[in-house]
Amino acid sequence: MAAMTATEITTADERTGGGLHGAIHAEWTKLWSVRSTWWTVSAAALLLIGYTALAAISVRVQADNGGPEEVLPSAPQITTEAVFFLAQYAVLAVATLFVAGEYATGGIRATLQWVPDRTRVLLAKCAALLPALFALGAALAAVSLVIAVPAIGGAGGGFTVGEGVRASLAVGTYWALLGAFALGIGTALRSVAGALTVSFVALVVLPMLCGAVGLPAVIDYLPGIAGLNLMLGPDAVNNITGQPVPYPGWAAVALLAAWSGAALAVGNAVLRNRDAG
Amino acid sequence: MITLRALTKRYGEKTVVDDLTFDVEPGRVTGFLGPNGAGKSTTMRMVLGLDRPSGGEALVGGRHYAELRHPVREVGAMLDAGSVHPARSAGRHLLAMARSNGVPERRVEEVLGAVGLTDVAGKRAGTFSLGMSQRLGVAGALLGDPGILLFDEPVNGLDPDGLRWIRQLMRSLAEQGRTVLVSSHLMSEMQLTADQLVVIGRGRLLADAPVGEFLAGESRQAVHVRLPGEAARRALAARLHGAGADTEHRGGGELVVHGMPVERVGDLAHELGIRLHGLSSQAVSLEQAYLELTAASAEYTTPARETEV
Repeated sequence: MAAMTATEITTADERTGGGLHGAIHAEWTKLWSVRSTWWTVSAAALLLIGYTALAAISVRVQADNGGPEEVLPSAPQITTEAVFFLAQYAVLAVATLFVAGEYATGGIRATLQWVPDRTRVLLAKCAALLPALFALGAALAAVSLVIAVPAIGGAGGGFTVGEGVRASLAVGTYWALLGAFALGIGTALRSVAGALTVSFVALVVLPMLCGAVGLPAVIDYLPGIAGLNLMLGPDAVNNITGQPVPYPGWAAVALLAAWSGAALAVGNAVLRNRDAG
Repeated sequence: MITLRALTKRYGEKTVVDDLTFDVEPGRVTGFLGPNGAGKSTTMRMVLGLDRPSGGEALVGGRHYAELRHPVREVGAMLDAGSVHPARSAGRHLLAMARSNGVPERRVEEVLGAVGLTDVAGKRAGTFSLGMSQRLGVAGALLGDPGILLFDEPVNGLDPDGLRWIRQLMRSLAEQGRTVLVSSHLMSEMQLTADQLVVIGRGRLLADAPVGEFLAGESRQAVHVRLPGEAARRALAARLHGAGADTEHRGGGELVVHGMPVERVGDLAHELGIRLHGLSSQAVSLEQAYLELTAASAEYTTPARETEV
């Protein structure tokens, strides 16, 4: 049991630091100091690379059995599917836990004591998380493409190095913007379960609903489908809508950014106006 | 210095903090007392900018908490022990805190040592006992070497050794000229550490006085008299009132006399020729004075007349 007097504590003498930079540094430290981040990132890697490898082998087997060459997907298409059907949920989880998890644990009170400017807190979380998601998404997509090439063994559609790089960057961009979207929703709803539900509805259920009620024109403008269109690229056929991608890559990025920006704006308004929770 | 001016917090119809105005001065320990639900924590949360006041304001060092560039270096606070992510280690928690405010990272080691958690710095905070969590909270409050400190119920979960430690810590922080505000629902604890007492009940200020004055003002000597019958009790009570004392009827022949020394009560009974079955003087403890003061304003009371805390 340490008996102590406060005189043993030396003075914090560096009267600098803090501000937005300090807030980002703190959020970065917090992000990587809980196991859930490592688990979800590992899950994203496993899902993305695992699905791509298995699907590539499946394509090769189909081709060997005399499947029609033109309908078999290329490696970038397989990776895009892996992101859309599996890996994006791990991205949602890590981003949602990063903010909504603080409300479950009470950590938000510490966060807001350290950084009372609430918009700065949200900015710092974005600055810590989004570049990491971009880098992870791009790197993991590149790795899964590299694995897919020998696995697919010349079956399916081919792709150039430039197309591979483009596909990888598109995955990174989607992950970063999806992370921003989930941060906004999580900040607004303050509940991990609630935020995950709303994000899932926005990404998956809403496109299905729009299709069911006869609003197919809307589908391409929803966040999940915009992400899918971004990753597929402008010349491809979207396998959810069954239609060609109707806009170029930059438009997909702008659409996603608008969704994420709106979610963050709502989250910021709630964060600024409500008690810490 | 912490300044509260007409600080008010309402949740819908319910007023939790009601028009609080008081100052917390540097260089002494100010005890912030009130029954559970009196509004102590809400008040502290408003001081820290976590909750927005419905009216009035709370200032630290003359400014709003949200205006501080390095709040951790100016105001240290230990709120409930539950504001640490349970999956994060104590060391990483403090490291993130240090980085957020540009506090030198070696301070993490220093404060962990100061609260006796060096050996468990790498352990997840969720595995800590309540006492260890309290110590981690204290470490966080001390991290930025702030001039203003707030502790919300710091003695909860501490063993006797820890109790002694935290009392000494509060005293020494105040002796260094810092502003120290400590909340508690236990008067006995405050009696040992505080110089100044601020008592609230149902969000309202009930008292703001030095501990000594509080004792003198609120906890006079009380004299307990036991009399053989109702007639005797009534006769003596009338005589005592005539002599300027207050009396309280406790049922049967029991009488409690305030504002008169025991000798004088005995003499008056003797003058009236009233036999006494018991006569005793009891110093009302600060605890009893506090209970009396807050009895009417307690948020949750048990039906029994005597509520032990």
